[in-house]
Formats: sequence, C-alpha cells, structure tokens
Amino acid sequence: MTTEERQLADMLHRITPEPPRQVTVEDVAFRLASDAGKEPRRRLTSRRGWAPALAAASIVVIAGASAGLATALTSHSSHNPAPGGGAPVSSASSQNSSPAPSPASPAQTAPAGTPLRIADGMWDAKLITRQSFTQGTLAGSGNSLYVASADGLDRIDLASGRIVQSVPYSPPIPQRPVVIGNTVWVVWSYSGGDIILRGYDSTTLAQVASVPVPAIGGVASPAAGVLAAGPDGKLYVAAGDSVATVDPAAGRVTHRISLAGGRVSSVAVAPDGSRLYVGTGPAGSLRLLVYDLATGNQALSSQMSLNGAGNLVATSGGVWGTTGIGMSEWVWFAPGGDLTRSFRVSQGAGAGLDSLPTSSGGAVWIGGTHELVCASPATGKAMARTIIPADHSIVEHFGSVTALGGRAYALYQDDAAHLSGVASLTPPRACSG
Amino acid sequence: MRLRAEEFGQACRGVTEVLLVDDRPPEPDGFRDFVEARSGALLRSGWLLTGDWPSAEDLVQTALAAAWPRWATLTRQDAPELYVRKIMVNTFLRWRQRRWNGEIATGRLPELKAYGDAFAQIDARQALIAALDRLPPRQRAVVVLRYFADQTETQTAAAMGCSVGAVKAHASKALARLREAPGLAELMTGGVAS
Repeated sequence: MTTEERQLADMLHRITPEPPRQVTVEDVAFRLASDAGKEPRRRLTSRRGWAPALAAASIVVIAGASAGLATALTSHSSHNPAPGGGAPVSSASSQNSSPAPSPASPAQTAPAGTPLRIADGMWDAKLITRQSFTQGTLAGSGNSLYVASADGLDRIDLASGRIVQSVPYSPPIPQRPVVIGNTVWVVWSYSGGDIILRGYDSTTLAQVASVPVPAIGGVASPAAGVLAAGPDGKLYVAAGDSVATVDPAAGRVTHRISLAGGRVSSVAVAPDGSRLYVGTGPAGSLRLLVYDLATGNQALSSQMSLNGAGNLVATSGGVWGTTGIGMSEWVWFAPGGDLTRSFRVSQGAGAGLDSLPTSSGGAVWIGGTHELVCASPATGKAMARTIIPADHSIVEHFGSVTALGGRAYALYQDDAAHLSGVASLTPPRACSG
Repeated sequence: MRLRAEEFGQACRGVTEVLLVDDRPPEPDGFRDFVEARSGALLRSGWLLTGDWPSAEDLVQTALAAAWPRWATLTRQDAPELYVRKIMVNTFLRWRQRRWNGEIATGRLPELKAYGDAFAQIDARQALIAALDRLPPRQRAVVVLRYFADQTETQTAAAMGCSVGAVKAHASKALARLREAPGLAELMTGGVAS
C-alpha cells in the first residue's frame, strides 16, 4: 500500500462510527422466515407502454376472514406523463428549496393538470401532490392535509392538491401532526430533557402556541409516536420517565403519570379516553403498560421482544405497533393492550421505508411496500387488502394513510419513476367498517 | 412460510422458539458466534457502502440470510466472512443499479468544522459519506473492501467477480476522486476519532 492508501484506510477505521445496534441471529431468522413466505413480487403490468397487450391485469383484494372475500378489478396501463409535462420530482430541496418566509405565503410546489395515475391504479390511486415529504408525517382534518417536508410543515388543500401554506419545521422524530380543533400540533424539539410542542392555526399555519414539556430523566431513544390526543382535547406526551398531559387551552403541563423505571418511547390514548397505553422498556424489547385514565392506576403490563420504539396507535379493541427492522418489519395488534395475545397484521416495508399503522376514518391503515391493508379497529382483522405493485421490480411505497371524506390519502414513493408525493385512494367499501 | 397469528402470539412469550416452525434449516453450528463477533464490523462496512444504518442493517441481514443455508460449507472452506462480504457487495451493487437514491449532485460539500468542535465527529462522518457518494458503486465497493475490510486485491477481485487489474484501476480512480473531495485530505491526515 502507498502512504495515501494507508492514510485512507486509517481514516476509514477512525471515522466510521460504531453501529447503534447489532444484527442478531433472531433478525436473520426473521428475515429467512419472512423471505420464505414471501410470494414472488408480481409484475402486474408492463410499464412505459411497449406492450399494450400485457397492460391489463387485476388486483385481488382479499378481505379479512370476518369480511369474506371481495375482488376488485383495476385496469393497468403505462404511466401517464408527468402532469404538465414537467420533470419528475427528485427531492424536496429541488422543488421547495427556499423556505416559506411567511405562513401566509403559498408554496409554488403543486402540480397543475390531471392527477397522475400511479401504482397500476390500485384502489384508484392518483398522485395529487408531487413533492418529497417526510415519512410518517401525514395527517388530515376537514379539507386539509398536513405533512412535513424537508423544509417545513405544509398544508395541502384537498380539492386542488396544492400546497397552500408552509412554515419552517423539521420533525425531530417520526411523528404525525395532531389536529385538535383549529390547531395543528407538532413536536418541535425532542432531545435531552427538553420537549417543545408547537401549535399552528389549521388554516393559516400561523404559530399560535409553544409549550415546553420537561422530560424527566431525558427523552427515550429511539422514540416514535410520542404525541397523542385524547377525546378530552388533551395532549399526551412521552416525556422521559413520565407521560405528561398538556392542556392546549392553558398551554402548559397539567398532569403527569410517572413510571417506576424506563423511559417512555411511545404513547397512545384509547378513543373513548378510558385507557392510556405507554411503551417503554430496555433496548430490544417493549414493555406495554396500560393505565386506567379515570383512576390513574396501572391496569396491565406485558412485554415482547421488539426492535424500534413501538409506534403505538390505540383503537377501540386494543393497541397497534410496529416491530422489526428493514425487511423484517411488521405491524402487530394487541387486543386490550395485552402483548401476550398480540398477533401479526401485515408485512412491513424495508429498504428504509416505514410501515406504521394509522387510525383514521373508522379503520386502521397499514401501508408498506408489500400490501396496503385496512383493518378493523375492534378486532385487528384485515377488512380489505391490496397488493402494492412493483415498478420494474423496484418497490413502490404507500404509508401514513389518513382517511377524509370517503377517500384515503397516503404518502407515496416510487424510486424507479422518481415519483413521490401524496396519493389519493378510493378504498373498497369494506374499509368503512 | 409466514408466521400465523397464533404463532406470533406465542412469539411474544418466547420469540425464538416460534421461528423454528418454518422450513428453513436449523441454526448451523458456529453461526451465532460469528454473528455476535462480526456483525459490528459488517454493519460498519454496510454503513460505508450505503451511508445510513437502516440500509446497512438490511444489507447485513440479507448477506447473513444467504449464508445461513451454506454455513457448513463455508466454514469448511474457512471463508465465511469473505462470502458474507461478497454477498453484501453484490447486493449493494444490485441495489444501486435498481434503486434511485434521491441523490442530488452538488458542487459544494459541507464545510468541516474545527476538530475541537463538539460536532466535528458528525461533520467528519458527513464529509466521508459525501465523498463516498461521489464514487461510482464499484469504486466505492473497492474502497470499502480494500481499505476498510482490509482484503487483498485478490480477495477483493473474487468478491466483486472481476480481475485484479480491474480492482487496481477502480482503486486508483477512487483515490483520485477522493483526493478532490473537499475536506477529505484534511481528514486523512487529521485526527477526528469516531
């Protein structure tokens, strides 16, 4: 080796960091089990229009056991050209490189023309907004969607698909915005002992509140899904060794539930406000604590082996979460918040993409790169599912689904076609619950 | 074979037992020791190849899953790590052929802070990954195998399925490109620890 080569080798060894976690035999076993059960990815269509004879196929929508079997047929054809004939969106910075200086100034990022048909038209999928957004950050209310991009928090008008407001914001952790009344709440800062929540007007995105939430003992890492809204209009925040209750009207912490040990990595509130679900535990496992919110007493505790923060979502029948990493990721449902009764609901995403459950419009939605599922919030059973096609064998991704006005909206990514943005979907009637 | 719902329920109580209900071969002798001993180094190589930890884990898991059924043969040949690294590199090259990574060519890389800066480590890592991002995939793979995994030119050529001459050419071109990367020469002669 020459001197320069030795210097390069020394530098690589010196600067390359230690990994945050090790790969275990169990990870590899999950991968093997997962890969063995994976059916070959179906090429549902021949894209780019060179073989029209192959451009018709069907997607089988398999309803869950409780809902019977339903079949939906969609036609497949080549990708339409980009709306307006523009170049594909490559990244947020290429489209939205200058942060919006004022919450009232619309960003010039939305497409013009007819929405682009995507993913072979599964569930009538159309791209209504072309822009790179941060995974897992889409939420909706009224006639608006709220989502984080590389540069800010954006409000998208549902009717036009245009980004009509934007304010500077960078999500510190995976967290959907939470909408309460006319205020959109986001986690602005989440590190060390300091958490800051910010509230924005749901129409103008003008900042209306900033609430510091001290994290006792420091925040958990990893953490995801640390902010939840209760039916009482309160916010629940994973705050170190405690869960803090924030009264948005008062703009301060009004109550805390302290844990005996372990930092809270995720939190969720039952839709009826009766139960608080708290995820904690040492690395590599999740301890799920269930609190009776009326009395403040702990009602249940169970534990499972888990990679990640849990990403809890509460519904009437129990709690949902995500475990695993990479291609071994999947979503589980624990009836009544009891992990010993939990079962797997859907295959995850992999390749750095997420598969997080969301509860919206009377169903639980689970995206990913394999399939899109709507499941019963009461039983955890799939009510309908559809295969997400691949584009030239490269995965397409739907995530962070939110339902509004009979339609569903999801963040979409197709690396092969350099497409990303917000997709609108028309799910089958079974997804209405 | 997919895990059934009830099996996953059992998995919550004892996760490893349930995994053995499928039809994959049983865990081979010595596999666990290897994973425990070498996954850190493999992950670091994966990070240099991909630039982020989730992709690095994906890469290492893929390679180890491929090695699992062949483990007895690999250990007889005394070369399990070489094989795993070969799978990693080939998987990485395949991904780079197929995936668009959202990279945007920029004329200016992040400036390095002073070494005494508390953020110097992070800056150094970012500068390193930015410099590696400038390399074509095969040059990047040669850099990782030759200069981080300390493989010989012959071993690198075997892993990449090319000639020793091609490895030398890739290494030479990679060094030339890295030489031009802003801040990297300073890192190569400087002293920011990981």
